[in-house]
Amino acid sequence: MNGPHDLGGMQGLGAIPIEENEPVFHSAWEAKVFAMSFATFSTFFPVDETRHAAERIPAGEYLSASYYERWLAALELLLTEHGWLTPAEIEDRITHLRQTES
Amino acid sequence: MTTHHHRPESEIALRVKAIESLLVEKGIVDPAALDTIIEHYEHQVGPHVGAQIVAKAWVDPDFKRRLLADGTGAIAELGLTGFSSEHMIVVANTATVHNLIVCTLCSCYPWAILGLPPTWYKSLAYRSRAVIEPRSVLAEFGLVLPDTVEVCVWDSNADLRYLVLPERPDGAEGLSEEALAALVTRNAMIGTAKVEPPTSPTPIAA
Amino acid sequence: MTIETSNQCMTAAAAKALLQQGLSCQVNSDLPPQFQVGDLVRARVVHPATYTRLPRYVRGKVGTVMQDHGVYVFPDTVGQLLATKPQHVYSVRFPAQALWGPAAPASDALYLDLFDDHLEGP
Repeated sequence: MNGPHDLGGMQGLGAIPIEENEPVFHSAWEAKVFAMSFATFSTFFPVDETRHAAERIPAGEYLSASYYERWLAALELLLTEHGWLTPAEIEDRITHLRQTES
Repeated sequence: MTTHHHRPESEIALRVKAIESLLVEKGIVDPAALDTIIEHYEHQVGPHVGAQIVAKAWVDPDFKRRLLADGTGAIAELGLTGFSSEHMIVVANTATVHNLIVCTLCSCYPWAILGLPPTWYKSLAYRSRAVIEPRSVLAEFGLVLPDTVEVCVWDSNADLRYLVLPERPDGAEGLSEEALAALVTRNAMIGTAKVEPPTSPTPIAA
Repeated sequence: MTIETSNQCMTAAAAKALLQQGLSCQVNSDLPPQFQVGDLVRARVVHPATYTRLPRYVRGKVGTVMQDHGVYVFPDTVGQLLATKPQHVYSVRFPAQALWGPAAPASDALYLDLFDDHLEGP
């Protein structure tokens, strides 16, 4: 698809963000998103299906999201499309966690 | 750019926690597997793996020949293959050819050889610009190449993964394979840097 | 959909094995290649609304087959769970000027791994 991911030759995306001595993951949630995606690679979703899921993120969101936010969106899309989780289940769990943690 | 989040970090973290708890409850992911995966990429693999391959190629001409002819096979000899490095192509920089690796469609990268990619490699800026203006991208890394050098950009969108074999720097004669490996930076193996000689007072950080 | 997944929870041991052994996309096949090393090829002008590993910037451009990597499953169909559709993958060299015009340095080049289905004769 001619999506926002097909970036080769696009102009206007700025300077290369070079970060010295950066960690492998910048936060615990990034590590968890990566690991959950990896743990479903091939067993639940072929890697190419996860790539395609990232490409289907709405273009504006794709371009403004961070790398692991895109991974999270792709994972959520596949889990809900295949019926492993429902959007309502996720929202309910977020509400529940917010209540128990506050 | 990639450090910009349009949702607060705490909201994303909560969302991830919610999904993780649901997936664990439903038996879709195993927490022990998640720990194994994170530990592997935080502590097992990284640029030191690629540096070992480069240093061996610098001291062993036969290995270098095999590495450039059949990257997958030569790397397998060292037992260093793994996920997202199953099919390896190694391209050598010379006095007249400079290679640069990118993946414009996502961020394909030889995870088993270099670890997970740095933010800049995954950035929209790098993915968009490396193919159309590689020389200005290299200049942002402090690498200005003369017109006599051919810049070859490898857009690794298929299942093959790429490693640049940088030039061995002058002044590294007599160094052990281990000492040579310590000179090799991640960026040199992607093609956005050269390997600095050991005496360089301000080595470019990985 | 013709590609089924196991839907088995990955254990720590299975994760370790996948990390260390990887997941080969190569297929043992005697499928003949559509193109030979040295051939001029054109990246097809197609705009599928679905998954493809053929970037827009190369569509319609002519390059040279430099290497035949062998037979691999076709990500464009795997990504949609349709079929593995194994085929040859080639390293294709495009002069920078063929892609970006005369302002690009004449010496520079771009290499892309493309599948049989991405290519046609020049």
